[in-house]
Amino acid sequence: MEAAVHTSGLRRTYSRRHRDPVVALDDLTMTIGQNEIHGLLGPNGAGKTTLVQILSTVLLPSAGTARVLGHDVVADTRAVRSLVGLVLGGDRGLYDRLTARRNLRFWGALHKLDTRTARRRADALLERVGLAGRADDRVETFSRGMRQRLHLARGLLHEPRVLFLDEPTSGLDPVAAGAFRRLVLELRAEGRTFLLATHDMDEAAALCDRVTLIDRGRMLLTGDPARVGRFLGDRECVDFTHPDPALTEALALLPDVSDVERRDGTGWRVHTAGRDGTRRVLAWLLERDVLTARRGEPTLEEVYLRTVGDRGMRV
Amino acid sequence: MSTLRVMWHAVLLQLALSRRDPEHTLILLIAPMQTTTMLALTVTAHRPDVVANAVLAPGLIGLWVAALDYAGRIVPEDRWAGRFSPMIATPVPLGPVVAGRVAMVVLVGAAAFAESWLVAALGFGRVLAVADPALFALAVAITCLATVGTATLLSAVLVVSRARDVLQNSLGYPFYILGGILVPVTVLPGWLHPLSRVVFLSWSAELLRGSVRGDARGWPWSVAAILGLGAAAMAAGLWLTRRYVNRARREGTVGFA
Ligand SMILES: Nc1ncnc2c1ncn2[C@@H]1O[C@H](COP(=O)(O)OP(=O)(O)O)[C@@H](O)[C@H]1O
Ligand SMILES: [Mg+2]
Repeated sequence: MEAAVHTSGLRRTYSRRHRDPVVALDDLTMTIGQNEIHGLLGPNGAGKTTLVQILSTVLLPSAGTARVLGHDVVADTRAVRSLVGLVLGGDRGLYDRLTARRNLRFWGALHKLDTRTARRRADALLERVGLAGRADDRVETFSRGMRQRLHLARGLLHEPRVLFLDEPTSGLDPVAAGAFRRLVLELRAEGRTFLLATHDMDEAAALCDRVTLIDRGRMLLTGDPARVGRFLGDRECVDFTHPDPALTEALALLPDVSDVERRDGTGWRVHTAGRDGTRRVLAWLLERDVLTARRGEPTLEEVYLRTVGDRGMRV
Repeated sequence: MSTLRVMWHAVLLQLALSRRDPEHTLILLIAPMQTTTMLALTVTAHRPDVVANAVLAPGLIGLWVAALDYAGRIVPEDRWAGRFSPMIATPVPLGPVVAGRVAMVVLVGAAAFAESWLVAALGFGRVLAVADPALFALAVAITCLATVGTATLLSAVLVVSRARDVLQNSLGYPFYILGGILVPVTVLPGWLHPLSRVVFLSWSAELLRGSVRGDARGWPWSVAAILGLGAAAMAAGLWLTRRYVNRARREGTVGFA
């Protein structure tokens, strides 16, 4: 079966005045299968929005190719636009002074729907996202969660087969975010494909079949959330105190140790790969009379940040 | 056909937006004051022959101000509000959307003609008789059409230019002069005449005055000139709009301006 999305050597730079260009995407090659919910995970500035914009034809790539259901996003813009829906996060992007219904009807016209169809689909979608009761209220009176559901309804008007969601639940309270995720799962059951850009690991784990981790425009790894979770979560750590830095130099050479960082004067944290590694490192430290060692439990968030950010802290 | 459909939906959108936020109908407050000023001048100067001019000028100015004031704002506002990128992601080009929204605003501006006439009639007791009402109606209609075309071009020019505010503030009087709105083009220095002929307003002003006096000679030429210049401006506007959308996609300036 044809891939829902396939990129090959995709690159995008932004030129800046008097400075080197920013590389937002660097040689990105990835594939998203049909009917998949694919998470695009990465910290701020990783290049998530850039990728989503290229795939939805809003932005042109600097090099490389991207295809949606076999259609090139540059050469075959028209076909791609009818196949994909773009759902932005945040509370911008709608006509705030107008009602939800008016917003959808106008967008129906932008998708070349005839008036009857636009009206029918707008009503059905408002019902579906739970906004039927507020259809004739101005968007400016809506909560964040309601706006987000309207964004989703707007992205669905032309019944796209592939949806790109850019941080759809950022700033939503947990209840609203949960309701939004349930909608996504329902829509997937209808056969749609989703690319979900997010920096929230728990969201990716809860929703996605596969996850691609990117940072600084480069892919770090791609796989099922469990594997990515293992990649991120396998990193355990041991905290200990010892006055002699020479010990830590020897420690850093062990195969189970990914790196050692200084926490304060005599306090150290050693990052290990996996539970067995931790056990061996603890034993190694005990043999050398380090008695204040204990297994640390970095949160997923910390591990994630350590993996993709904060590189400067390493020894 | 689908382009006209999109324009029509943009008219409806603008109608809804204007009802919520009628700030640009403020120009309808200005027209009566302009008429009052101009009529007062003609009355104190004992020049009944230019009353027609004093009544027509505020109408044309209203049209132009409506177009100019609004045309440059549509795209930047959509961009600031984050609507630009989802709009680009749709299969419809941006040009007709802008044209449709401008058209709605121009219609509001056209109401300045009626206001101006009423001010003259009720305020000064000068009922401006229109000798050739059919031609007058035609002149107003095609002037509106040409204004929509020109405003679409202006919108694109204002978006691509780096000095939007300066341009917007300075595009008033040159066009009132070249358009023969305040005084007929014939009283301008000769070297300005060719320039004024490419400003559709100069043909419109002449045709409107002629239809009021009932001596509009060669009016089919004027009609053709107005429609031709308006169509050319519209074509250029749609082309330039497509250009800057593509430039934004290339340079990555789709988000904030
Ligand atoms: N329009 C732009 N002009 C210049 N730089 C940009 C622009 N958009 C994004 N960038 C830069 O490109 C990088 C990737 O940004 P983005 O795709 O928005 O990442 P994310 O969505 O993952 O936060 C960042 O360094 C960002 O500063
Ligand atoms: Mg982003």
